[in-house]
Amino acid sequence: MGAAPAHRRGVDAREATVAELVVAVQGGNRAAFGSLYERFHRVVHAVALARVPACDAGDVVQDVFADVWIKVTRLREPAAFPGWILTMARNRATDVARRRRPVDLAADLAADLAVVPPPRVEAAAALRAIRDLPDTYRETLIMRLVEDLTGPEIAEHTGMTPDSVRVHLHRGMKLLRERLGGEGGHP
Amino acid sequence: MSEANRGDYLFDKTGDDPAVAELEGLLGSYAHRAPLREPPVRRRRWPAAVIAGGLAAIAIAVIFLWRRDGDGSGNACQRASAGFAFAVEGGAARCGGDVASRGTLPVGAWLETSGDAVADVRVADIGKLTVYGDSRVRLVGTGASGHRMELARGKVAARVVAPPRLFVVYTPVAAAVDLGCAYELTVDDNGRTRLRVTSGVVSLEGHGFVAYAPMGTEVLAAPGRGPGTPVAISAPDELRAAVARFDGGDPSAVRAIAEAAGARDTITLWNLLSRTTAADRAAVFARLDELSERPPTVRAEDVLAGDAGAIERWRAALDAGWSCPGCGQKSKGKK
Repeated sequence: MGAAPAHRRGVDAREATVAELVVAVQGGNRAAFGSLYERFHRVVHAVALARVPACDAGDVVQDVFADVWIKVTRLREPAAFPGWILTMARNRATDVARRRRPVDLAADLAADLAVVPPPRVEAAAALRAIRDLPDTYRETLIMRLVEDLTGPEIAEHTGMTPDSVRVHLHRGMKLLRERLGGEGGHP
Repeated sequence: MSEANRGDYLFDKTGDDPAVAELEGLLGSYAHRAPLREPPVRRRRWPAAVIAGGLAAIAIAVIFLWRRDGDGSGNACQRASAGFAFAVEGGAARCGGDVASRGTLPVGAWLETSGDAVADVRVADIGKLTVYGDSRVRLVGTGASGHRMELARGKVAARVVAPPRLFVVYTPVAAAVDLGCAYELTVDDNGRTRLRVTSGVVSLEGHGFVAYAPMGTEVLAAPGRGPGTPVAISAPDELRAAVARFDGGDPSAVRAIAEAAGARDTITLWNLLSRTTAADRAAVFARLDELSERPPTVRAEDVLAGDAGAIERWRAALDAGWSCPGCGQKSKGKK
């Protein structure tokens, strides 16, 4: 009896590469899809949170993964998955942000305040300060400070080099400290 | 601490960096923890010819409907199947730009009432929004996670029975977040917003401020500075004038507020605990402590230091008095 095709074989979620998981998901493997979610939901959420209020960011994550399930069969190069899903997340979050206009910033702040425990105002202000940073830095800082990913993990899940991640984090943090008004980081 | 001793905590969590750790603690509440929802059903891809045929059929149907409606612009609210049902009495109203006396307000469409008209909008299955004359409201979004409307101008009255934060009305300068209540919201042509709470509690939020407003209180929110400090609807003019000065940027008004505040004004004093500097907070604390029973778990030094947890615990104790005027107040406070 010959070996089963790659997408039909069981995948060890802990050992499988992203490309192996993608191939399995393309074949309809839901366990592999769950593993992809475990690996990427935080970076997708960070990308969303860099653009939309917190209460909408969770919806963006679920929408993006629903799209992944449907569209992943069209992804020809499984190893390109990290860049592919982050592009989907950016597009989706941008659409949501555009649809929210012209609802004002007060509404966005209220939405951010709604999902965090006290001290809500300080947390919302810190998040807003990160959102005001240049695109280059805000996603990486949110991945690090909100989603608790380390620099090497961010590199692995975004396709950036570790050195690029390090530079983004330090330059972004320097700007953030300046905007928050001091070393202590109090908003 | 020197750089050498820090390692690179920001990059790989080696060493330490208290400022980064503090930001992690502050922002960690936003981290994503939700499980994966059940993915949708994958559908087979249809041949291009079938897709083309389908598109042609849809195009024919659209043209048919367009011609039937004349210029094609109207009746969106009468045809809408999803949204909030509404009915208008006493005058004219427009929904989605068309004159309408009843229909369904779909997401994104504006409902505009003329001078004498009053529209009742059914808010999903949780309550009702009454839209008074010369008002302009919009359904921003509705779903399992909440219902959001926008009041651009005019006056509405909401009565909602739902879990806290499920229903939100945006105005040009703030967001009224329902915490279980009935309230009136007014927006003038400049966007100035007035909230009057007639039952339960509403949180008026925006520009980094949160005004906690229980029944019997009102709050003003102004362009550029968000919600002000809540005051009792029955508050004396002297207190209102002092609150207006404080909200307008004069911190010295705090002492006048404390002196003018009576037992009915604990809501004003409590909100000020989070809006004052440490120096001014002492006067607010002293007056609030005089007028209300402070729970043993709420330490004076914590409140004076602006500790959010202590201030929240005190609010929880005060809530009973706010929802039941006269309850939980000390008898020695001036009325």
